[in-house]
Amino acid sequence: MSFTDRIAQGLESGWKVTDGATLTENQTVEADVVIVGTGAGGGTTAEILSKSGLSVILVEEGRLYYQKDFKMDELTSYANLYQEGMSRTTKDGSIAILQGRCVGGSTTVNWTSSFRTPDATLNYWSKRFDLDALSPDAMAPWFDGREARHSMSPWEVDPNLNNDILRQGCEKLGYSWQIIPRNVKGCWNLGYCGVGCPTNAKQGALMTTIPGALDHNARLFHGLRAERLVMNQDRIDSLQASAMASDGITPSGITVTLKARHFVVAASAIGSPGLLLRSELPDPYGRVGKRSFIHPVNASVAQMPKLVDPFYGAPQSVYSDEFNFSNGVDGDVGYKLEVPPLHPAMSAGVVPGHGDTQAKNLARLPWMQSVIALLRDGFHEDSPGGTVSLRDDGSPVLDYPITDYLWKGIRNAFYTMAEIQFAAGADRVRLMHLDSDWYSSWADTKAAIDGFAMEPHRVRLFTAHQMGGCGMGSNPEESVVNGFGEHHHVSNLSVHDASVFPTSIGANPQLSVYALAARNSTRLAQRLQK
Amino acid sequence: MPNHLSPPEGLDSVSLNRRSFLRTSLGGALFLGTVSVAAGLSGCTTAPADRLGAVETRMDARYQFQFLTTGDIELFEALLPAILGSALPEQPNAKRMTVAGTIERIDAGIHKFGPANQKELRQLFDLLNFGLTRVTIARVWPSWRNVTTEQADAFLERWRSSSIGLFNNGYMALTKISNVAFYGYQENWNLSGYPGPPEWAVQALPQFRNV
Repeated sequence: MSFTDRIAQGLESGWKVTDGATLTENQTVEADVVIVGTGAGGGTTAEILSKSGLSVILVEEGRLYYQKDFKMDELTSYANLYQEGMSRTTKDGSIAILQGRCVGGSTTVNWTSSFRTPDATLNYWSKRFDLDALSPDAMAPWFDGREARHSMSPWEVDPNLNNDILRQGCEKLGYSWQIIPRNVKGCWNLGYCGVGCPTNAKQGALMTTIPGALDHNARLFHGLRAERLVMNQDRIDSLQASAMASDGITPSGITVTLKARHFVVAASAIGSPGLLLRSELPDPYGRVGKRSFIHPVNASVAQMPKLVDPFYGAPQSVYSDEFNFSNGVDGDVGYKLEVPPLHPAMSAGVVPGHGDTQAKNLARLPWMQSVIALLRDGFHEDSPGGTVSLRDDGSPVLDYPITDYLWKGIRNAFYTMAEIQFAAGADRVRLMHLDSDWYSSWADTKAAIDGFAMEPHRVRLFTAHQMGGCGMGSNPEESVVNGFGEHHHVSNLSVHDASVFPTSIGANPQLSVYALAARNSTRLAQRLQK
Repeated sequence: MPNHLSPPEGLDSVSLNRRSFLRTSLGGALFLGTVSVAAGLSGCTTAPADRLGAVETRMDARYQFQFLTTGDIELFEALLPAILGSALPEQPNAKRMTVAGTIERIDAGIHKFGPANQKELRQLFDLLNFGLTRVTIARVWPSWRNVTTEQADAFLERWRSSSIGLFNNGYMALTKISNVAFYGYQENWNLSGYPGPPEWAVQALPQFRNV
């Protein structure tokens, strides 16, 4: 194995990393701080706290995968790196949830798009949730810091054709578009970010803050699932965790008890509410698991006259915010336009169909292009979000009903995406909807969309961004944590992930999580200095 | 407890008011749970299939099924020719081998779904495998072993175009899991015109070298 790989080097040099599958005895471990989750929030928190001299233990339910495991193969990566082997959905099955489950969390499998929290979103939070300290000016240094830490900058290589078609269509129609900033260093422009970066160019938690924390004496348990936070009077005394066998699925029967002065939960917008609910922590106003947001995504696919090869090249490099805030921050729902990469397994799963028709469609993959719309949910009273609750076995599940307000936006997004694709020269266009045909003109497509039933399952919906569920705010009647991520009712508990967002972001969320976690961890480090 | 000779309790209300009962997702969830109980009591096995013998239909006789039962395997052997259509080889032996390999990959994929979604799939497969509901709900008269590709395709079309969300969901579950396992498999990449990861990158990266 190459010894220039950061993870391989670190493991060789004696990092304190324990694979839960290797544990044979129940045990108790202790540190100043226990952090649940190793994603955008957990990694950032671990590095800052351990650099400040605090002892830190990281607990990760998923497994440690790194360069040696990243072979640009969809099937192995979907099975190993994603929640529920890429089968996670909302409760009624109608929305597919793409979420990471591995060291580095979703940052190990995201498509590297890096955006600051939009000013309009921060200003809305200030006004609506009394979070004045999170103004754009106050947050700017935190964004600066994290952009540097994660090597973020606008992508300077020509967009691949898949992305350029979005640009061309926007140009034709007079819609604004921009180049996407990416968190990459020395990127080979291959396009396999979503199955684990094979070159270590992606500067997610796995390549940056996790090594940083481990270099500063942090300890990592992977294959260890956080079950319950146990309280003693008004503080958390310990975390009970279950070791998982090497398949990552089956509990091994071994329990680890983790004790600490302070606990930071960063287990994702589905995992964190789940943990808090299982732990039955004080929740006098029933806020945990509420106001869960997802940037609902709908999609359109086009057949282009020229070869697109939508599986090669940086997966996301062009975006349009033309329709994101065009109705104000809290009017009719806005959406951000982006492009997804199309690899064969993902495409076969996303394009709804079977038989000869499906085979013929998929045979044209090299000529396919796609546009996605990410709806900015949570800013209107008719977009109250979904709810995370517990299944019988204690695992968390998200129920996300789509309201008429959102259906209207979804239909609008169908029109927009199809129009853009035709403007860019598409031969024919098909919406991701069970009733959609291929249409060879914008007029035909528009008429078809007019008649679409806007119903769960019939409209194919996705989410790659999970937010909310442990919302922040000044008022405990409306929130779980304050603006510093500190739990309103438990003195030694913080939440440092996307679950604290009181609305969706309106942009890919990783930088928002990094920046807020950096700010809040810096304060926490000061608080905890002996 | 329901007698295995009579339909599960929920089925009467289903017969009376099938559409509205199944329309509500709660009704759907309760119904599927009831079916699993009845299916279990009538002797349908829900234990994973043992290693199947090294016969002409098995790609790898050493593969140990972790989830799919023999009934599930027969279900997929009936459905895959309809789901994959002309993407399957025409030559009967090659077709059987490809179907068998795909079923093994489906099984491996389901194992990684974890217990919660395995439970959902178990309920769906039980509904399809239990004779009574296969006939009354899925409207598939012959047992899956005797279903023709045309009949399988008609069943899939019914569930795809149904106004009942539960059936749309079942359609997507069956086709998604099959399409992903098939088109995602390296030997089938050519069917989507996907050349695989760029050869120059494979040559240059350390993880592809035999250590």
